[in-house]
Amino acid sequence: MSDNVVVEEKPVDTVAIMNQLPGADIVGQSPLHHAELDALSKKGVRKGGVHLRENKLQAHLTLRCNPNNTEQLAAVVRVLDVALPLQPLTSVEKGDVSIRWISPDEWLIVVPGEKAFEVETRFREEMEGHHSLVNSSGGSTILELSGDNVVDMLKKSTPIDLHPKEFPVGKVVSTVFAKSSAIIRRTGDKRFELVIRRSFADYIWLWIQDASREFGLVIEA
Amino acid sequence: MTQKNRLQSGGRIDRSKPLTFTYNGKQYKGYQGDTLASAMLANGIDVIGRSFKYSRPRGIIAAGAEEPNAIMQLGATEATQVPNVRATQQELFNGLVSGATNGWPSVDTDVMGVLGKVGGNMMPPGFYYKTFMYPQSMWDTYESIIRKAAGLGRSPLENDPDMYDKVNQHCDVLVVGAGPAGLAAALTAARSGARVIIADEQSEFGGSLLSSKETLNGAPASEWVSFVVDELRGYDDVMMLPRSTVNGYHDHNFLTIHERRTDHIADRAPDGQVRQRMHRVRAKWVVLATGAHERPLVFANNDVPGCMVANAVSTYITRYGVVPGNDLVLMTTNDSGYQAALDWHDAGRRVAAVVDTRKNPSGDRVDAARKRGLNLITGSAVIEVQGSKRVSGVSVAPISADGKSVAGSVTKISADTVASSGGWSPVIHLSCHTGSRPVWNEEVVGFLPGPTVQKQLTAGAINGSYSTSKALAEGQQAALDAIAALGMKAAEVVLPQAVEVNEGQPMTLFHIPHLKSTAKAPKQFVDYQNDVTAAGIELACREGYESIEHVKRYTAMGFGTDQGKLGNINGMAVAASALNKTIPETGTTIFRPNYTPVTFGAIAGRDCGELFDPKRYTAMHKWHVENGAKFEDVGQWKRPWYFPKAGESMQDALNRECKATRESVGILDASTLGKIDIQGKDAREFLGRVYTNAWAKLAVGKCRYGLMCGEDGMVFDDGVTSCLGENHFVMTTTSGGAARVYEWLELYHQTEWPEMEVYFNTVTDHWATMTISGPNSRKLLQELTDYDVSKENLGFMDWREMQVAGVPARVFRISFTGELSFEINVQANYGLHVWEKLFEHGAKYNLTPYGTETMHILRAEKGFIIAGQDTDGSVHPYDLGMGWCVSPNKPFSFIGKRGMAREDCVRPNRKQLVGLKTLDPNVVLPEGAQGVLDPNAPIPMPMVGHITSSYWSANLGRSIAMGFVKGGLDKMGEKVFYPLADGRVIEAEICSPIFLDPKGERQNV
Repeated sequence: MSDNVVVEEKPVDTVAIMNQLPGADIVGQSPLHHAELDALSKKGVRKGGVHLRENKLQAHLTLRCNPNNTEQLAAVVRVLDVALPLQPLTSVEKGDVSIRWISPDEWLIVVPGEKAFEVETRFREEMEGHHSLVNSSGGSTILELSGDNVVDMLKKSTPIDLHPKEFPVGKVVSTVFAKSSAIIRRTGDKRFELVIRRSFADYIWLWIQDASREFGLVIEA
Repeated sequence: MTQKNRLQSGGRIDRSKPLTFTYNGKQYKGYQGDTLASAMLANGIDVIGRSFKYSRPRGIIAAGAEEPNAIMQLGATEATQVPNVRATQQELFNGLVSGATNGWPSVDTDVMGVLGKVGGNMMPPGFYYKTFMYPQSMWDTYESIIRKAAGLGRSPLENDPDMYDKVNQHCDVLVVGAGPAGLAAALTAARSGARVIIADEQSEFGGSLLSSKETLNGAPASEWVSFVVDELRGYDDVMMLPRSTVNGYHDHNFLTIHERRTDHIADRAPDGQVRQRMHRVRAKWVVLATGAHERPLVFANNDVPGCMVANAVSTYITRYGVVPGNDLVLMTTNDSGYQAALDWHDAGRRVAAVVDTRKNPSGDRVDAARKRGLNLITGSAVIEVQGSKRVSGVSVAPISADGKSVAGSVTKISADTVASSGGWSPVIHLSCHTGSRPVWNEEVVGFLPGPTVQKQLTAGAINGSYSTSKALAEGQQAALDAIAALGMKAAEVVLPQAVEVNEGQPMTLFHIPHLKSTAKAPKQFVDYQNDVTAAGIELACREGYESIEHVKRYTAMGFGTDQGKLGNINGMAVAASALNKTIPETGTTIFRPNYTPVTFGAIAGRDCGELFDPKRYTAMHKWHVENGAKFEDVGQWKRPWYFPKAGESMQDALNRECKATRESVGILDASTLGKIDIQGKDAREFLGRVYTNAWAKLAVGKCRYGLMCGEDGMVFDDGVTSCLGENHFVMTTTSGGAARVYEWLELYHQTEWPEMEVYFNTVTDHWATMTISGPNSRKLLQELTDYDVSKENLGFMDWREMQVAGVPARVFRISFTGELSFEINVQANYGLHVWEKLFEHGAKYNLTPYGTETMHILRAEKGFIIAGQDTDGSVHPYDLGMGWCVSPNKPFSFIGKRGMAREDCVRPNRKQLVGLKTLDPNVVLPEGAQGVLDPNAPIPMPMVGHITSSYWSANLGRSIAMGFVKGGLDKMGEKVFYPLADGRVIEAEICSPIFLDPKGERQNV
């Protein structure tokens, strides 16, 4: 090989990412697909102290990076147009992006399901240095819980103090939920959101039905 | 039957609401507001049970949680049976069905009565203690006697139809007890803006004020109670819990409250309502305002029905409008006891005598008794009671000034009720739960809460502050202290004015002397529930049990549900006297949770039935159910075990599944395998340190099997890890080991190698994993993907990204069956779609679903281990014949390297995993069978190792097994014998564990 020929080295893929979504003709089945919540919302009770809605098929992306690395933090803003919440146990929400603080170097980012690959690709372009972004969209789902008795129901399920003074809107905790776990976030005075794992979803669904029995459970589509 | 002891007016009962209840099969009437005990007393029911050891008739003694005798069996149906309910704490409702716990078939004419005496003689004090020491062989005999006699109630034989649950609570201040001290504390804390929980075991708040005629601010005390309750009700951050017993005070100010929500309404909870609720409270501060229990005095035959605690007599009259007899004799050592005689007299019944042990009593209540012209006998005591099923009279005699001997002639007085008061015992149980030793206080003549490490405050009678004004002031002060400690600003609360009562000095006296010695006098009971007498305690001391803890265990004093509420102090006093010590020198036993019994329902809460333990499901679970799978629990996962067709036995199904897979293609839902995404520039090096084998050269697109060991060198997990990118791997773990492996990686990263740039994320639930295995698996896969899955393009131990049935997938060509095999991973929301597509195309290949059992057989045919089945934490890779999977020459060490090089790990004759073929190919060895080399050796035979895996292999037409044999890898072809419990001895030959296709030709196609 002569000296003046420049060999263009193809960069080795250090991390494998893939668009994991099929075409629109194939409909995904959320972890609570079998519970047929849509049908229940039509024939179930309309009044009750606890309301439940599954916010399904969202993109769940777990980001691990260094909170002291300002360049990484800036990259997040470039990709998501919102900064990571650095204060422990807090969350941010802007447009269709929400970010939950999980641990000192870990955040859960939720964006609309179809945007997962786009966000993953953008992160690869923008973020330098040691980090990881892992797609866990198929492994979890979001339950939106609201109503006059939502706190009463949650108190049966988790030892976390849910009083507004201790658990204001925006606070997020990863904690015990019955005999499983959940990422619990307060989204309103009487409104919470649970991120739960797929394999435990049926158990938590049964648990919530049971714990809501004395208040009445309304399923929302 | 008429309520012969019911007053025409007065009390907190509602005479317009009569209720019917059943006791021992007979119907009675009571009123709304009654307890079962007050209703029984109103109806003149004297005997409510038989005693534990001596089978003596017993009546109601007290009016609250301290009641030792009236322990009832409740429930109108079999399913609603509740044992050991105190009649004094059970509110009456219409249709309540109760029965005596002991004394079947009738407490009045007890066939056990005669036997009971025999039993009593067979059970001197020390029965429990001696039973534990004497030959075990006698235990059965002892136990049946104890159980029969003990009256411990019975549990229902049917499922409890009611719902119980648990609720987590948090507060700034938890106030325990809603008497004057508790209410003052709660009011002060609530007004100051604190988050308050106030709990009281009674049906309504007020505590001692409910059964008292005293006034506050010149009005009945109940008016102030209503005022406080109304105000508390108005605060959002105040939770009021009546009918709720704070039963346990645990570390870090964690307390449990047992709330009985519907036990006062009906036999069963109304539809949809929770019967009992356990509140799990985390309190910043706790105010114990638990009050005090009055101590009865210890005198001869003091257990004859009609003997009661003085304050209980007052309570029944004042709160329930029930006078539990006609002629009262009161014996007291103090002024407060007089109230019972005053209330009795004011209710219009005869007070036969007030016997005061003090020579010259003086005080407001003594004056009141004199003013009413009551027959006051001072310097004397009731030394003995006459009667069997009801008091008929008493013997009264002067006693010496120190109370130790009888000092004059005996007078007999006829009466049907004897009330006694020996002073008060502060209710320090909860304080003791925290490990705090109580402290004796001479002035109070009782134990007070000792120093504590908890954020605990006390107020009122628990401190020996018995007057209402002191209780109120201390309650307020406790709240102020808590508020200050919380950094909050205290609000003003003006306490109501209580009327001060002048009281004379009480006499310190517990045990009333008799003409005869304690041992020879009629029984003087200390602990009614456990039938412990003063003589029994003296005997214990004589036998050399000098520590109060030993006395307790020797006599059973304060055991069981009673927890020594009435008897403990008296018992210690008797022991102290026998040992010639003071009470503080003798010391006290302490109390443990729970203060009163808690039902199993409340402890279990909703963690029962379907919710007992989480069941984890894969994305394809619905399909498995619809296709008749039998399931197996793997950790919390529900995995298909096998898929029987109609008429098939389990073995039939397994044979079919195994053959179909080896002959054409089978499919397994492998989604439960743990999956951990590993990223970072040091990911590869990290793998090299946690796995025993080498990872430095694993190329992108390649997969490798790895073994993971603990520091001791013993295998604890295994699995295939694949290189997704230069800095990106996905590790698989066993289904049950996923969480442990993930924690293991984090532990080593965070504590040992934090400098390594690597992140771990669990993706187990994210991917649905389906493995197609068998000679036709490639054809099937090719039909569903455009990607060329030929041998040349997708080799063994390669992975590629491709679309399968229109869904992006990662396909790994790895094999746990030894067949050509593809593991298809798709985002779990699309798992069922791909699974169903595989079946659409797989029908022509007889695509056969199989479960964990066929998976186990197929891998055993290949000699592949299952971590946790063929390993047990005591085997290293070389024991498994897997030295090929250890790379001792890696530049950096790996976990377990030194462990497996220990002397014991390299010695000869270790147990090694080998294959075993039974001589008779039709016999399947039981897993766990122990092997011996000489079946005729004398017992105990030297054992050489056990069978870990054993199956019928339909593909091989014979049984196969894997197991450990000492030095087995060097004993190929030798014989091992397995003597079984049924007498058979199975002979087997040691062989390679790879029973099928030792060269791996089937998977390399």
